[in-house]
Amino acid sequence: MPFRDGLVARGFRVASYDMLGQGQSDKPRLFIDQADQVAVLRDLIAELGPRPIFVGGISFGGVIALRYAIEHPDTIAGLVPMSSFAEIPPQLMRLGTAMRTALILGGTTYLQDLLFPMNFSNAWLEAKSDLIGLATHRGWLINDVYALQNLMESFLEFEPLTPRLSSIKVPTMIMTGEYDFLTPRTLQDSLRTHIPDSALVIIPRAYHAFTLERAELAAYVMARFAEDVIAGRWRGKKTIWVAPEEVGGELTPFPAGFDHLRAIPVRLETPEHAVQSELASS
Amino acid sequence: MSTLLGPLDQDDRIPPRQQTRVAAFLMSAHGAQARQLAATLPIHLLQPWQLELHAQYCREMEILSLLTRATTWVPDPALAFMIWQWEAAWMPQPMPGAADHLHGLLVDMAALGHAIHAGIRPAALLPEGVAPTDPFVLAMRRIEFESGRLLQAQILFLKGPQLVDVRDEVSAAVERRHAQVRELWTSMLGGLNVGTE
Repeated sequence: MPFRDGLVARGFRVASYDMLGQGQSDKPRLFIDQADQVAVLRDLIAELGPRPIFVGGISFGGVIALRYAIEHPDTIAGLVPMSSFAEIPPQLMRLGTAMRTALILGGTTYLQDLLFPMNFSNAWLEAKSDLIGLATHRGWLINDVYALQNLMESFLEFEPLTPRLSSIKVPTMIMTGEYDFLTPRTLQDSLRTHIPDSALVIIPRAYHAFTLERAELAAYVMARFAEDVIAGRWRGKKTIWVAPEEVGGELTPFPAGFDHLRAIPVRLETPEHAVQSELASS
Repeated sequence: MSTLLGPLDQDDRIPPRQQTRVAAFLMSAHGAQARQLAATLPIHLLQPWQLELHAQYCREMEILSLLTRATTWVPDPALAFMIWQWEAAWMPQPMPGAADHLHGLLVDMAALGHAIHAGIRPAALLPEGVAPTDPFVLAMRRIEFESGRLLQAQILFLKGPQLVDVRDEVSAAVERRHAQVRELWTSMLGGLNVGTE
């Protein structure tokens, strides 16, 4: 996995795993309780021993990472929710329900066929057409319809985390793909506005699965965050940044005075937004 | 021990002996489901869930018909003992802790259905290079695909509000049936020198 390898190459120890119900992890037959997902993460972190630990989670995994940070605040040095969310607004609910139906009626392969164009750019899909066939087959082989269904249902029925986000005190870098329409930027921004020591980083030209499509860049940005936190340089301040196009570049503040939630350049009007963009540019 | 069926014959087909064993197991399991569904269905369908059961029954019958016609059968003396063993395993085992005997039977029937439709993945055994339009191969793929849909009735029933009070017992019943089906499936495949891990 290039994202993991990118972090290892920068001197980090990386522990990654499939969520319950997915891939090679246990597949509860009927019910998956999100509390069990948090318990798995807690046990893993306990196993890693005392050291600065950063928790990252992608999409569904980001929700579990957020819940973990809320419930076990003193055990981690930093948090990185990626392409994630703390609640399910109508668009995401309808997409999630439709994907669940796709899984039930069309099987794992049909769901994957839907997810690939939602997760990646045209350029990546064109360049990786051979890999997609293999990945689809492997995904079908190691996953089970009932287990994925349980996992999806556990998220479609989950209790919104937004009211509890303010209790997250650790440095938090929220990462989002510029073109992510599965979990759009408004969802990531809701994390930013509620988590005190947070910053939002937009990965340019990326979709939902930027840790796969832009793996090296994502690893670079994440490593910089961890290094800044460990060195005491991190200042979240609910700021908004744009990641560089390539590894080694600098993060730049989102242009001051413009609304980062719009797809066209629109100037901010509210005082609250003005303050935020001022912080971003400082 | 391979995790896939084969080696393939000269026409890139699954060897008939393997086809016979796998198809016999699937016919036994899906046949048990069809019998149990037939016994549960009333003459006149009155409730929505009864229509669902009727649809399930028809699909199970389709699977049986498909296996009968798509398999290249060969004589297999060992099947006599195996089929007796399989059929004994499918016998109803009412869930302990149910409100009444009938309820316990229904949960067990759904648990067995869950184990058969979720736990048996015949298409995952097909090796790369197998003739894609071979009837047995198509049948394996179709059965696995249909199982994902058939499973929904069991999931709806087992996760339904009427069983909330006995959720632990239901989960235990499902787990027990999964373990049983997995053991028989693994053992049958082991006899063909095919491993499942």
